[in-house]
Formats: sequence, C-alpha cells, structure tokens
Amino acid sequence: MPKTWTKAELRQLLKRKYGFDQFRPGQLPVIQDLLAGQDVLAVLPTGTGKSLIYQFVGTVLPGIVVVVSPLISLMQDQVARLNYQGEKAVAALTSQVDYGARLRLLGQLNRLKFLFVSPEMLGQPAVLSALRATPISLLVIDEAHCISTWGPDFRPDYRDLGHLRHQLGDPRTLMLTATATEQVQHDIVSLLAVPTAHRVIYSVDRPNIYLSVAQLESEAAKRERLRQLLTTVTGPSIVYFSSKRQTELITDWLQTETTLRVAAYHAGLTAEDRYKVQQQFMAGDLDVICATSAFGMGINKGDIRMVIHYHLPTTLADYVQEIGRAGRDGQQAVAVILYVPGDENLVRNLNALTAATPSEIEQSYQRYQAQPNRTVDSEMERVLTAYWQRGATVAAVTTQFANRQLAKERELQSLLQYVTTKDCRRALLLAHFKEQAPQHTASCCQLPGEPLPVKALGLDRAQDVKLAPPSGWEPTLAKLFLPNS
Amino acid sequence: MFTDYVLLMFTTAPRRAKAVFNVLRGRRTVSTLFAGLTYGCLDLLDGWHGVALDRFLVAADQLVKDELLTAPREGYLQLTPAGVRRQRELRQTRYWPTAWREFQTADVRRFTQVSRLALQVGSEAVHGQSRYYPVTTNPSIQIRVKKWFRPWAASELGPALYASLHAFLASLTVAQAEVFVRSLTGFEHPGQTDQQLATEQKRLPVEMLVMRKDLMCQWVRWLKAHPQDPLWPLLAPLVKTSAVSKSAQQTYAAFLQHGTLSEIATVRHLKLSTVREHLLEVAILTADFPFARLLSDAQCAQLATIFAADPNIADWQFSTAQAQAPDLDFFEFRLYQIMRCQHA
Repeated sequence: MPKTWTKAELRQLLKRKYGFDQFRPGQLPVIQDLLAGQDVLAVLPTGTGKSLIYQFVGTVLPGIVVVVSPLISLMQDQVARLNYQGEKAVAALTSQVDYGARLRLLGQLNRLKFLFVSPEMLGQPAVLSALRATPISLLVIDEAHCISTWGPDFRPDYRDLGHLRHQLGDPRTLMLTATATEQVQHDIVSLLAVPTAHRVIYSVDRPNIYLSVAQLESEAAKRERLRQLLTTVTGPSIVYFSSKRQTELITDWLQTETTLRVAAYHAGLTAEDRYKVQQQFMAGDLDVICATSAFGMGINKGDIRMVIHYHLPTTLADYVQEIGRAGRDGQQAVAVILYVPGDENLVRNLNALTAATPSEIEQSYQRYQAQPNRTVDSEMERVLTAYWQRGATVAAVTTQFANRQLAKERELQSLLQYVTTKDCRRALLLAHFKEQAPQHTASCCQLPGEPLPVKALGLDRAQDVKLAPPSGWEPTLAKLFLPNS
Repeated sequence: MFTDYVLLMFTTAPRRAKAVFNVLRGRRTVSTLFAGLTYGCLDLLDGWHGVALDRFLVAADQLVKDELLTAPREGYLQLTPAGVRRQRELRQTRYWPTAWREFQTADVRRFTQVSRLALQVGSEAVHGQSRYYPVTTNPSIQIRVKKWFRPWAASELGPALYASLHAFLASLTVAQAEVFVRSLTGFEHPGQTDQQLATEQKRLPVEMLVMRKDLMCQWVRWLKAHPQDPLWPLLAPLVKTSAVSKSAQQTYAAFLQHGTLSEIATVRHLKLSTVREHLLEVAILTADFPFARLLSDAQCAQLATIFAADPNIADWQFSTAQAQAPDLDFFEFRLYQIMRCQHA
C-alpha cells in the first residue's frame, strides 16, 4: 500500500528539499495524483516549474525517473540544472555520449535517479532491455505536444512511445506540456494509450505579458523597428528568427548599429559556444539574444522582459511557448511580433520541408520494397522508411501526410488571425485553446493604431550599462583561481 | 573564412585535393599519410578532425570559382597567379598553427573537454561554489574530473592551478594568453565565444577556432614537459607513446627483432600486405626508420638513376620504375620514395 502524503508533509518536503514555501499553481495536484499512482497529463503554463514535479516525485518514490525529451541540448540543460541543484545521480543518454560510456551507463542504471533519453534512444533494444531490468518510479514525456506535432512527419519514433511504455511495464506516466489544444491532448493520451490519465489543465494565459504586433511595410522598416524596440524597451530580450543565417546577420547588424551586448544562438554553434552564450545571458552579461527556436526550452531566467518574433512562429502554440520565456518573475513583460505581409510564406516554405506528395510516398515505398536495408539519404526518406519498417500502408501514410499539411495550414491561418485581428489579441489567443478571455484592459494587448505603451507598462529602458574595458589575462586568471582576488 | 585555410594548403604544383583534405581530417591510410609526407603537411594531420569531406570540397569549389585555385586534371588542384597573391596576403594575416603535431601523440580533443571541466570545478571550488552549471554533462568526463579533484583541498588547488597556468601562459604572446584565459569557464566567468574573441582580437571566428586548438596543443606540449603539474594526471592517460597506430607499432617491434616480413605475418596473424602497410606507416611517421634493412644499395642506386631528372617525388610513377627494374615491387618503390622524402 503506497504511503498517503498529506499536503502539509508535501509542503515540508518542498521547503526542505528545494527551499520553497509554496507550490506553484498546478504543481501540487499533479504531484498528489502521481503519488496516488495515477497517470497524469499536465498542461501547465510556461514558467510554472514543470520539472520540479518529476524531481519531487523522483525523490519520494523508489526507482528511476525516465524523462523522454526531444532535444539533446534540452537534455543537457536539464542534466546541468539538476547538477546545479546538487543532484548527482542524473545522466542523459544521447548520441553524443561515446559508446563505452553509454554501455557503462546502461550497466549502472540502478545507481541513477534521473535518466534523460530521446524517443529514438529509448527505442533501442539495449536501452529498452536495461530499463526493463530497472524499477521505474516515473516515466515523463516532456514537451508531450511533440507526440502530436512532430510525430507524423518529422520524428516518427514519437508515435512509438505508447508501445515502448507498454514494453516498460506501463509505468506511472506524466505527460508534460505548456500548450496543448484539445486535439493535441487527445493525440497525446490516445497515442500513449493512457485513456484514464487525469488531466490537469491550467490556463495558457500569462497576464503579465503584454501582447503586441507591429505591422510593417518592408524588411528595412522591420529592422528599424527592431532596433527602436531594443533600444527603448528594457531588456533582457530574446529575438526569434526562423533561420540561422538571419540570426547571425541581425546580430552583426545590431552590434554595429547599437551599443547593446548582443549574441547569436542557434544549432550551428558548437556545444561550447552555446553553453557560453546561455550562461552569459543567465549572468546578465548580454542584453539581447538573437536565436532560432533552439534557444529557450531549457532556459530558466526569470527577468526576461521582452520576446520579439522577427519571423512568424509556426503555430500559436509555439508562440505561447516562446513568449512564455518572458516575465517568469511575474513582473511586466512584452511580446512583439514584427510582421510584413507575405511573411507567412516563410512558414509555408518551412512546412513544405516536411511535406511529401502521394507519388513521392509511393516511390519511397517501392524503393523500400526493392531494397529494405538501403541507406537513406534525406530526412524525408528517413521518416517514410520508419513508417514502412512499422508496416504502414501507402494509403495510410498518404492520408496522414495530407492531414498533417492541412492541419499546419489551419494553424498558420489561426496565427495570421492573431496577427491581423482588430480586436483583443488575448481573447483570440485564448479562444484558440478554448479558454475564456478576461476583460480587455490597457495592459492586455495592443489594438491596431495604438502605440506600444512602454512607459505605462514600466518597461522604458534605462541607460546602457557602461562596460569596463576588458582586463589583461593576469587579473582575469587571478580572479578565476585565487580566493579573495 | 574556412576557405582561407583551404587555400593555404595548396601550391603552384598540383596536389591531390582529397588526399590533402583527408590528411587534415585525420584519415590514416598509408596513401593519405604518404600524401601528407610528400606535400609537407603531416604536421597538420587530424587538425580538422570531424569536418566533413563535403565541407572541404565545397570550399575548394568556391576557390576554383573565385579563380584562386585551378584544376589541371581531375582531382588535382593548384594555385592560380591570383591564388598565389591571395595566399601571400593570408600568410601575413591569418593565424597559423604551430603545435598541431600534438594531435598525433595525444588525445587533445578529449583533454580539451576534461580540462575545461577541471578548470571550472577548480575555479568554482576556490570561491566556495557548489551550485553551477557544469560545462559538460558527459558522464565519463565528469567521473574523470571527480577522481582528479577529490584529493585536493580547494585552498591548495586554486593557487596551484593559478601558478601552473601562469607559468604556461607566460610562455605565449599576450594575445594568445588573453584568448586562452578569456575563453575559460569558471567562477562568475562564463567565458567568451569564438565570435566574441574574434571581435576583440580583430580576427575571424575561424582563426579563433584554429588558435584555440593550437593553444590547447601548445598546452599539451608544455604539460608533457612538466609532469609535476597538477593538471598532468588528467593528460597522462591521453598521451600516446608514438604517432604510429598500436598495431603498426607491434609489427615494427617484431621487425626490429629481425623477423622476416613473412614470419611477422605468421606470428601476428596478419596478411603480408598488412605487414607492409604497417611498416610504411612507421617509415612515414618516424624519423629513424632502418630503410637499409629493406632496400639494398643496388636498388637505391637504380631508383636514384631512374628518377634523377625528376625532383618531384610525389609524381614518380611505379610503372616508370618497373619498366627498368622488373623485380622491384610496389612496397620497395614506396619505401624508397618515403626514404627520399625523409632524407631530402
């Protein structure tokens, strides 16, 4: 019979282990459900401390917590964060861990408290059999919306998670995400085969983030507006782009045009540089990060004041996730989309990258039939081959791909409605997630023709930080390694 | 730009492009090593480890389009007159590595990762910090550093690391020392990226990459000469006794004990051709190979006569030699080429 925890006991443990007096909204009911042996789908807004939930449950229950996570960089951030909090029995099993270390890790799983894996890694027979021999306290599907949004045409292994979970003995499961429409919630629960999972759904609304859209006429006007925003609104700020190239170009441009401390962040950087940029930003050494969506999933910086989208996000759900990195300290923040008519074509082009026509699907199937073990040379072929290996039919895959493209176009239309609406943006955004909007106020969102109320929001920028000239190597070395220097 | 470093690999004489690139990528086939020897770029062997061949080929294509390189025949590239001028400028301005040879005798890349974490752990410990984001979450590196760190008292480790690094950095130029220190991660010091260092040093990011790899190699060389250093225990297990592969070293050891090549093949359960490949590898990568045990004076004299008019050893054709010395085999011919390169 599992121990029944009272709220008071859980709060005491929270205080003792993490130093917090109160749970954040959503944390307690999810923890209680999990400790009672329930599977839970938790849709909790960004910044509510979702990772604390599985850390907490992991410290209470015997066995290992297995966290399925979509990105290597995110897993590394999560491991580093747990290390930071003093948790040593934690590891990420990724393709970047060399073969020998991977085998050692799998041989010593019982010494670990937390293991981070990708869906692809989890599906490997050696990993699966090592985990089957280890008591699992909790299976966590982090960023669970990826099951629905990435599974069909990008990461097919996401769709195997239900089967893999079953092979692991149907352990208690927590599905975590910050945004999930009803359809996405349905996809998650049905693909993971957890129909009885409790749903703990909180509002996606972040009332302290003012919502703004700037409609501009040209790329030049967009750049100028970006410069103006970054130099008049207080930071730190994140600017999101849809390509690495643009990220670097605008970083260079801002470094030339302003006195702001700006750095680029994208998947093309080395792991070392990504770490450094992230830590500089956390330490307040940077005013602006120009990033692709690779930046931010693992970021836990409370005082980000502005998130700008230089290019459109792909969906409203992504948008909510990305702007949710602002104002986690509860203070006022602002989210701005810079939009030039036609920008939506960039999203369509990105969507097209994962599209396959019926004839391409048929040809891929024929190639697979003729030579099942051939080397695949494109991302699309890899995805399609994964379907053929799972015994899917051409008709089913064709329908799946067609539906996915239609869904993406519908998502884009919803996003464009948000961008071009003449009414309350928050109301429209929340309606997308079937939520009621609060009464529109001056600090809610920007209506067409209204200026951005920077002063009224208390977001006007103070003087730039005057930078001291860099010191020579000897004083820096002394600061690093000599105490009291 | 990366293309600058690609251009710097060529001369006005044609070079086999893929062979040059494979030297840089650390491909250790005898044919690649031989190319490295004849083109004089073995010091850079493995310096661009992990860079895809395609990236080199794309850069080379760009240089051909820019008329800085030309392809006199399929697979070969050489400098154009404009390429010669551009290369002269680049030699004056671009950072050029001086210690990349260390890649051959130490696992410099592994040491880079291990030492980054070790210095971070040391720096944070000196300042009494236990809550920080580690630079790597790789478990095997974390375990390695933990073992190294455990016996130290933080009060002693900090000054010891300071003294060690100070001694090494004082042997560099000021700019090199600054780049090394600013790129470190430690207490309240996330470290600067290559892009940021490049802006500060008024160089290109790729130069900072080359420089930082070179500084790491220089540090490895320095630590090898200072085995009492507190960081030496982290490097020691990553140092190799020779640039030659383990298997080739074993073949060579058997050869030095006066076995015939066939006997060595039998004892080592290798094909005769593999034994020969091993010996060629040793001949290329070591300075004192006993060529006279495998090449007679008469063979050397005959080959010297055949190629007397052709000083470009890389261009010699086995068929030319064989036409006049039908008993000569390819192994002997290649060995003679290596000897001539080594003793030029």
